[in-house]
Amino acid sequence: MKKKLLSLILAGAMALSLAACGGSGGTDGGDSSGGGSASANTIRLVNGKIEVDAPLKKLAQMYEEETGVHVEIESMGGGIDIQGTLKGYYQAGNMPDIFVNGGASDFSNWAGLCADMSGEAWAADTDAAYVNEDGTVGFPYTVEAIGLAYNANILEAAGVDPAALTSPAAYEEAFAKIDGMKDELGITAVVGYYTEPVNLYWSTGNHLFANYEDAGLARDDTTYFDLLSDGGQLDVARFTDFANFVALLQQYADQSMMISGTYDQQILNFASGKYAFVTQGSWIGATMTSDDADAYAAAGNFPVGMAPYAFQDGIDTILTNSPSWWAVYSGGNVDAAKAFLQWLTSDAAQEVLVLEAGFISPFNSSKYVATDPFAQTIVDYQSSGKTSGWHWLGNKEGLAQNYTGQVFNDFAQGNLDVDRFVQVMQQVCASAYAG
Amino acid sequence: MGSPMGAKQSAFGRFQGIFSLLLLAGGAALLAVSLAADFTGSRAAWRGPALVIGIAAFFVGLYFVPTLAHHRDIINVIFLFPLLFTFGVTVIIPLCLGIFYSLTDWTGIRYTQFVGLANYASMFREVSFLWSLLITVLFVVFNMILVNLVGFALALLCTSRLKGVGFFRAAYFLPNLIGGIVLGYVWQFVFNNVLVKITGASLLTNTPTAFAAIIVVYIWQYAGYIMLIYVNGLVTVPGDIIEAAAIDGANAFTTLIRIKIPMIASTITICTFLTLTSAFKQFDVNMALTNGTGSVQDFFGQYLTNGTQMLALNIYNTAISKNSYALGQAKAVLFFVILACVSLIQVRISNSKEVEL
Repeated sequence: MKKKLLSLILAGAMALSLAACGGSGGTDGGDSSGGGSASANTIRLVNGKIEVDAPLKKLAQMYEEETGVHVEIESMGGGIDIQGTLKGYYQAGNMPDIFVNGGASDFSNWAGLCADMSGEAWAADTDAAYVNEDGTVGFPYTVEAIGLAYNANILEAAGVDPAALTSPAAYEEAFAKIDGMKDELGITAVVGYYTEPVNLYWSTGNHLFANYEDAGLARDDTTYFDLLSDGGQLDVARFTDFANFVALLQQYADQSMMISGTYDQQILNFASGKYAFVTQGSWIGATMTSDDADAYAAAGNFPVGMAPYAFQDGIDTILTNSPSWWAVYSGGNVDAAKAFLQWLTSDAAQEVLVLEAGFISPFNSSKYVATDPFAQTIVDYQSSGKTSGWHWLGNKEGLAQNYTGQVFNDFAQGNLDVDRFVQVMQQVCASAYAG
Repeated sequence: MGSPMGAKQSAFGRFQGIFSLLLLAGGAALLAVSLAADFTGSRAAWRGPALVIGIAAFFVGLYFVPTLAHHRDIINVIFLFPLLFTFGVTVIIPLCLGIFYSLTDWTGIRYTQFVGLANYASMFREVSFLWSLLITVLFVVFNMILVNLVGFALALLCTSRLKGVGFFRAAYFLPNLIGGIVLGYVWQFVFNNVLVKITGASLLTNTPTAFAAIIVVYIWQYAGYIMLIYVNGLVTVPGDIIEAAAIDGANAFTTLIRIKIPMIASTITICTFLTLTSAFKQFDVNMALTNGTGSVQDFFGQYLTNGTQMLALNIYNTAISKNSYALGQAKAVLFFVILACVSLIQVRISNSKEVEL
């Protein structure tokens, strides 16, 4: 009898502990998925730009003081696959109320799950919002630009006028001229062109490749993007010109770094005044003035600018766009999320976003100009209408990481000549779009 | 058995029967209601307690089921249940879901239709996937041999009468304690910034050398672990046998070949299969070191960009970076089948060895 009692107690205890595990698991799930709708006083934002984590947290604090609504900022960045993480959150019932989306394919992942914000006041104040069949689903927060960044001091010392760099011939002449004056100018190479395929594939595969798709075209011209989307086809004539320009970059690049140099080295060398040009876009301004601030100051905080990737005569535009958008999850705390986004366009919030996060405001009513080194050049290109759109975000997912980045590297290593490069790129794009 | 006793027993039995039935039915009902409330999206606070009380009542009821014949079975089930439940939730259900998803057009969020075996068909038409399969097999063969050779050599050194053997054992084992991702990044730095001064171009930029680099790093990481197992095997070789061999005039080499290796045959089997399965599942070093990059100029008439991408990384990239979750899932099912076969063969061979011993 005693034995029976003991086993009864044991069995009961086990059943209870088991049930307790299940029970607490259940309530956990309820709490986190309810993070949106259960408590109206908390919203969660997944931010894809880890470098602006601090200013965003400051904004969240300001907002909480002003309205009592707690905003939780969750920053992801670097090489992290944000969409993959978000899918995990979705499966776990742990979706944030506001999350970052990079482009058409990201938004199509969440078709029907993003709230329409066309009724918001900010939507009339910008032309950079992301609009699809679900309505105005993407809140733009900054503008970035892709161009060939240059060190204005070096160009001036070498007597090269950046405004004249609108043809391959002009580039060839300028590169040769600067190359001949390397010792005088104190530079190690004319161009900081890096093609390392493991961590820097996005620079070549996405941004450089984007120039083939968009450079010199009107903002809404998607001729080459459409061609690519249709089974991964390339326009051979245009792409051959582009390949010749890439070959020119390779010829004058920092040979010791071109194959396996890192992003950090690339930006540091440019900020230290060792390159006249660098194949990176406006986002490097933030790194130059923070991580590399000492080197940049030692090089005299030189003024910078951007020149078009003129691989054909007459290309005189740089590419600008909102690099990603914030979307509101329709299953979350929609009203509070919308209110927060609207508040972000207010004067106080814009001051932080522009002056501290270094964002270039896409909102017409914003009166702040960022202190970012590249802010002025972007504003100049925008006001003179010399910008092209930016459609590479709609490229087949993984195109740069799994396909084109490696081809650029192989080209730089000298394993491919121009014709073979064009041919390989055609084959690789076709197989990327096929599978 | 006297009749009053029997009457008492049956009265108790009847009471117990009703009691147990009530608990079983009530528990199941509570469970069903709370689960139904959860699936219909209710946010009521009573769901949790209802679930807990329902499960507890059900099991208490099960315990009191008035049967003598099956009482022991019921207790067995009750005690096994937590493990079975965990196994089911974490292994069986995901496995079934995985196979199910591989037959659909799942996007990681939802699926719209069944596509049958289309994912499997396109998987084998994908030249880059066949390349991944090929180099994974190559990698496994290289590693199975090299890791065991290096591990065994290190074990011999670490069981000899050198000074500071304890230090060397710890030092060789240390790389195994570092996670593969960290290790991959450390070695990436070594290859790209330090060794590049000697090799001219980074070893990681060229497919054959990058493949060799992965093997080297993997050996560096794994040989210490295999060494420890061999060390354990070698110290169990009885001293008197070695002494007898020495008296018979066997030199060190003969002792090794004729005495030590046959004595640790089972250890060698274990180590071989350990290296085989772990090399097959190689992912983290591969991802951190090259992320599968490397060009292949011509494989079945195609230029490939995934020169060093092994199977596990290919599956990951297909699902995550190329956003084809269903195709990735199909590849993962094949991966499971291959590994299951390897494991079955391993169990077979290990069992027959044990009989021999």
